[in-house]
Amino acid sequence: MANHSASHPAHVQHHFVDSDQQFESAKMGMWVFLVNEILFFGGLFCAYIVFRAWYPDLFSQAALELNKVWGGVNTVVLIGSSLTVAMAIRSAQKNQIRGLRINLLITIALACVFMVIKYFEYEHKLHLGIAPGMFWNPTPEVLAELSHPKANIFFGIYYMMTGVHGLHVLVGIGLMIWLYIRAGKGHFNSEYYTPVEITGLYWHLVDLIWIFLFPLLYLIE
Amino acid sequence: MSEHNHEHHVATAKQLWLIGGALFVLTILTVVVSSIPIPAPFDIITALVIAFGKAYLVAAFFMGLYWDVKFNSMLLIGALVFFILMVTVTLLDTMYRQDVVPSF
Repeated sequence: MANHSASHPAHVQHHFVDSDQQFESAKMGMWVFLVNEILFFGGLFCAYIVFRAWYPDLFSQAALELNKVWGGVNTVVLIGSSLTVAMAIRSAQKNQIRGLRINLLITIALACVFMVIKYFEYEHKLHLGIAPGMFWNPTPEVLAELSHPKANIFFGIYYMMTGVHGLHVLVGIGLMIWLYIRAGKGHFNSEYYTPVEITGLYWHLVDLIWIFLFPLLYLIE
Repeated sequence: MSEHNHEHHVATAKQLWLIGGALFVLTILTVVVSSIPIPAPFDIITALVIAFGKAYLVAAFFMGLYWDVKFNSMLLIGALVFFILMVTVTLLDTMYRQDVVPSF
């Protein structure tokens, strides 16, 4: 602080006192955005709670149509990607740009694995006519297992929650590619890695949402 | 680095792997527990306790709230408080209707 001009490197914008203040402000801004994200998903969780309270049997019946194994694999994949993002941030903090890029690449790969599994889950269900709301048109075999008159509502909630979550994963992949390219251009170092840090926060939130979606949708008895 | 007033916390690789491992074990646990027949409200409660445990690990150590300024933790807790408020007020309506709206 004593030497103000010396603590004003190129990446610090003029309206910040120093690099630290800029970093802390960006991080707090991201947390405010995450509050918005939590309440956005909160609306969907609220719908889930209301309908589960109304139709408890529906949820235990309909959940049998979801594949626990693939849901579990996707949970492990997302946890792994959260770990690699945390490792990417650690690499940036230690000025290891090669490590940062490798960890970002692994994260992108894991996120793609998640989306591919999600695609096959959707594809399988839609093939059986297990579609949300008015598109509900199940095959007789599915109908024999799942005769509940409100079954389409469960899948409306399922597709909406996992769909919006999947959209967040796609956005995350885009952000991670952007970070990878910028890291390659030498934009990040131990003094400045703010975009890596706040994209990491975003990615962990996507993981957090899935941590709740998995038991609430797939693991109902 | 020397100009910084306070250094950013750098988690050790071992810490991060431990958290990742704990999350993995808790995922296995939640799957195993779901196959055990537990009477009605307690199965959901068990699943949620494990989910919140995992969420705490992610928020505290992967997102770094454990080492961060308290204000960011307050934002997260604030979001949860308002979420609970939203659910409570909604349930006060939906749980005390004479008839569920038929088209729902």
